[in-house]
Amino acid sequence: MNAQLFSSEELERRRAASRRLGWALGAVVLALYLLGFFIQR
Amino acid sequence: MDTATTTAHGHTAGDHGGGYHPTGILRWLTTTNHKDIGTMYLTFALIMFFVGGAMILAVRAELFQPGLQLMQPELFNQLIGVHALVMIFAALMPAATGFANWQIPLMIGAPDMALPRLNNWGFWLLPPAAILLTLPFALALFGIGDGAIATGWTFYAPLSVQGGIGVDFAIFAVHILGISSILGSINIIVTIFNLRAPGMTLMKLPLFCWGWLITAFLLIATIPVLAGAVTMLLADRHFGTHFFNAAGGGDPILFQHLFWFFGHPEVYILLLPVWGLMPHVLATFSRKPVYGYKGQVYGFVGIGVLSVVVWAHHFLTAGLPVPALLYFMYSTMAISLPLAVLFFCWIATMWRGAMTFETPMLFAVGFIVLFGIAGLTGLVLADVAADAQYHHSYFVVAHFHYALFAGGIMGVMTGVYYWLPKWTGRMYSETLGQWHFWLTVLSFNLTFMPQFFLGLAGMPRRIPDYALQFAEFNAISTVGAFILGISQLLFAWNIIQCARGHGPQAAGRVWEGAEGLEWELSSPPPHHSWAVQPQVK
Repeated sequence: MNAQLFSSEELERRRAASRRLGWALGAVVLALYLLGFFIQR
Repeated sequence: MDTATTTAHGHTAGDHGGGYHPTGILRWLTTTNHKDIGTMYLTFALIMFFVGGAMILAVRAELFQPGLQLMQPELFNQLIGVHALVMIFAALMPAATGFANWQIPLMIGAPDMALPRLNNWGFWLLPPAAILLTLPFALALFGIGDGAIATGWTFYAPLSVQGGIGVDFAIFAVHILGISSILGSINIIVTIFNLRAPGMTLMKLPLFCWGWLITAFLLIATIPVLAGAVTMLLADRHFGTHFFNAAGGGDPILFQHLFWFFGHPEVYILLLPVWGLMPHVLATFSRKPVYGYKGQVYGFVGIGVLSVVVWAHHFLTAGLPVPALLYFMYSTMAISLPLAVLFFCWIATMWRGAMTFETPMLFAVGFIVLFGIAGLTGLVLADVAADAQYHHSYFVVAHFHYALFAGGIMGVMTGVYYWLPKWTGRMYSETLGQWHFWLTVLSFNLTFMPQFFLGLAGMPRRIPDYALQFAEFNAISTVGAFILGISQLLFAWNIIQCARGHGPQAAGRVWEGAEGLEWELSSPPPHHSWAVQPQVK
């Protein structure tokens, strides 16, 4: 295993990507929840 | 691998706290550190495990002999329902999330979870939800309402439409618990996708992380459906809708479909993190590499996919059309294929290994044997013709406790004994651990094995009184339950002693045969797990 310091820029880039994916997953959750109200028996 | 060096409380690029380190209660309220939050999840789970356990001991005491001794049927029903909700949502799920918080950053070489503030919020939603679940018991003592939810954990309509305020409390609690689970799941998915150490491709991801990744996707797919179902139930109760009211054109069976679309994957949500942990433990104490890594990954994925298409096997007796019965029977049985792959890989990992039986290994082997019984009896229940006999009997109660206690809680115990020295820096008492294992396994079987025979003989579940013919097996089951409950105090004592710093100092690589990034760090790990980023070859 080689070791190196996390750079602030790299960490921030990864965290920003995480935030974007987090919002996208949250939107999927909301869509599924709302979809439930339109289920016809 | 070289050992990476890190500095406790060092200010690095991963120090999202800006150097602010409050102490006391403020530390726990405001912490964004994955290890602190993992500890809070695990502590909360342990407390609620005893709360849920105390409830069911009261139930077992009532069932010790026929007739009503200790409580009225209303309280009996409430205790059963809240026991299940507490054990599932407030004990097992938080325990698995505690594992994820502690271990995933350590295992993938990340400094912390990707969204640390969301992580804090996810945890602090749990205590108010647990209070909402249990508060109606206390309110009833003051003459407010008629106690907690008495429908069982499934909220079946139309009973839940007619129930007291306990149902409303439970509906709000489930919403909050669901939000907490979704926040945790989003965090786990984005952490695994974005914060893996360089060189750690998805097919090098530790199996525990794979198990949790599939779990997190299942939660995101199914919790909104549960939330939608209980929101519709709330509307039926208070806002004049008729989603589940046949008199108004609704359909109570629709509720069962919606509930079990969540409820069956929920079983795998509880079990997949544990299945992901098993290969690590088995490989460590067999001193061999994990057998069939890819097979296990595909097994997890296969089980995850199948888990969302088999839900109606929970109500095969509700009057579904025959083609639907056949579909749900065969699709349910198909789950045994990927599960058999996992069992095969676990056994093959141990095969001809230099095995030793420390407490985590004992629990892992116990898990495999007892969870096998859950799987085999599940096949029986999936059979439409057989299920007509066994549905709503104690056979079902025994089956799902072999799945969720032997499979879920004993799996959590495996993980706690395996990782506790890593978390606390102290070795637990092996003697107490062995006592805990043997008492747990023996009393568990004493409690639940008789329930298979009660079910086969026709004793229905969820009744506070029963015919004389069931008396002996019920008495045995109650004795077993009390031994099982009391023996868990050994578990709690062992954990508390380690947390208080008692016991021998644990090495970084706690177990001789352990492999993985997490064992490269000291025990306990530094405040920021991987301030120095590892690279995986």
